[in-house]
Amino acid sequence: MDIVAMHIPDGYLGPQTYVVFWLVMIPIWFLAARKVKKTLKTKQIPLLALGSAFAFVIMMFNVPVVGGSTGHAVGATLIAIILGPWAAVIAVSIALVIQAGLFGDGGITAIGANCFNMAVVIPFVGYYLYRLIGGDAPSSARRVISSGVAAYVAIVAGAICAGFEFGIQPYIAHTASGQALYAPYKLSVAVPAMALEHLLFFGVVEAIVTMGVVAALARTEPELLQMRPAAKPLRWLWGVVGGLILLTPIGVLAPGTAWGEWGTDQIKTRLGYVPTGFDKLGGLWKARMPDYTTPGVSDTMLGYLIAAVVGAGLCVGIAWGVGALLARRRSSAGAGPAGAVPPASASE
Amino acid sequence: MSDPCPGCQLDIAPAARSHGRGGRSLARKTADSIARAVTDVLQNEETAARPGLLQRLDPRVKLVTLVLFAVTASLVHSVWVLLALVGLTLLLAAASQVGVASFARKVGASAGLLALLIALPSALSLFTPGQAVVSLGPVTLTQPGLMGVATLVTRVAAAAGFALLVVWTMRWSDLLKALSAMRLPDVVVATLAMTQKQILTLLRTVEQIHLARESRTLGRGTNRENRAWVTERMAFVVRKSMKTADDVYDAMLARGFTGAMPSLVRLRLRPRDWVWAAASVALCAAVLYADRIVGPR
Repeated sequence: MDIVAMHIPDGYLGPQTYVVFWLVMIPIWFLAARKVKKTLKTKQIPLLALGSAFAFVIMMFNVPVVGGSTGHAVGATLIAIILGPWAAVIAVSIALVIQAGLFGDGGITAIGANCFNMAVVIPFVGYYLYRLIGGDAPSSARRVISSGVAAYVAIVAGAICAGFEFGIQPYIAHTASGQALYAPYKLSVAVPAMALEHLLFFGVVEAIVTMGVVAALARTEPELLQMRPAAKPLRWLWGVVGGLILLTPIGVLAPGTAWGEWGTDQIKTRLGYVPTGFDKLGGLWKARMPDYTTPGVSDTMLGYLIAAVVGAGLCVGIAWGVGALLARRRSSAGAGPAGAVPPASASE
Repeated sequence: MSDPCPGCQLDIAPAARSHGRGGRSLARKTADSIARAVTDVLQNEETAARPGLLQRLDPRVKLVTLVLFAVTASLVHSVWVLLALVGLTLLLAAASQVGVASFARKVGASAGLLALLIALPSALSLFTPGQAVVSLGPVTLTQPGLMGVATLVTRVAAAAGFALLVVWTMRWSDLLKALSAMRLPDVVVATLAMTQKQILTLLRTVEQIHLARESRTLGRGTNRENRAWVTERMAFVVRKSMKTADDVYDAMLARGFTGAMPSLVRLRLRPRDWVWAAASVALCAAVLYADRIVGPR
């Protein structure tokens, strides 16, 4: 059976990686089971079973793309839109376990990493982006467009995670002679390769499928798109953001420059010349912290960390400001449901 | 969708056999791939019922030991030790009467070949510098690069082999029994059991939808038309899934379901299970020890 491109088989990830993902997934599954039990009660078994079966079956459809080429969709964003992100975690995880255990597709050790990429990252990124763009009571057109954008971004995010997992293998497991012991490509190759194929092909398939199904459901069974409860504040997300900020020193592990992010000097070294347009436009913007360095700080590591904290702080500050602005506008307009907050900071 | 042939579980085979003919329509292509998937599941149940070595073991012992072998393969760094593990999977396949040729073909085609195609470019000096082994003009393959490719391919083949042995020698119901006996929450086991049944039902429905389109369509249609048709059918599957969930839940309530799921699984370990478990642990320890001696540093 043909499987989507980000499905990691056994043998590509070392134990240092797959054990970590098992340890990450166990509490996520536990939390998801608790959340789902609270909202679905005893109906959880048939609803999750059918959700998982749907997650599995949707991957079997051949979707025509360009010319004679066809692709398969993951459908995780679609499932999150219909069942909610926590139920999607369980539904997609069960579909992946059944692929491995019943059909022999995918491995055993890599199930944790695959579930993280496809059953956690894609549903959560997709669901919250859908809510962010679509708002609380979207029109049909806005709902369709937001589902497509959400599905596209979410699958690219999942692919980048998979690329990251592949890409760190050469750094953490190799012999003295440089022989890779697991996935052989470094971050500078693995991440762009995974991102590009999903940006150009699989992301398009995912967006087409999600938009098509959401459009059809909006026309025939709109209540299926309104099964989700009203939003509540999402305080735990701040903990996740904080954790991710603490992980930024991992960037120091990656030597060199990411593929495609070369400066003028590196372009000249690689190509032997600098394209005229690149040369002309390259100096238009003078960054305050070029190459993640901090002016006045000579220590590279310390400078990188300060740049990371400043960058993350700016992103969080802007997101918080926009969210607060939207919340104020909504409360003054009196449009949102009681207790609702902007989708940017909303949860189940 | 009504079943035109109730009980005809194997009438999917003709569709499966048509695989490989050129110029198949999109509907036929999807119907064929679904038919193959369902046929594979039915064949797995058949091989799992044969009186082979692994089939005779307690499902818990079999699951734990085969996972232990897969984990061991992930810890090994020597190509030679990994090759020995690949050989072990073939021996176990033969002892379990699952057909060594088809086992090797499945592992080689689905895992080994894919790993080779993905990893081979990494042997270029561009990605892995080192002593040149093959030079064809500007293309140079290095010794550490080729060894890295060999390590990955043999490891993927060994791990895929152990995983396939789980699938081919254990009935799905036995796997669920093992998970239940290993204290996996009953709600998870019940959901897995119901999911498997519903997957097969939905797959059959989707296959019939595609075959119906194939039999009613003369032209191929444009990509746009086909995409619209596919996504409409996916929406139908969503609707059918949700409706079936309601129907199943109603049926559960009608039978008195309250949420309690007492486990009726009673598995008992026999002497041969203990012997197999001890032999597996000893073998894995020996494999890791051998890898420490002959493996790369």
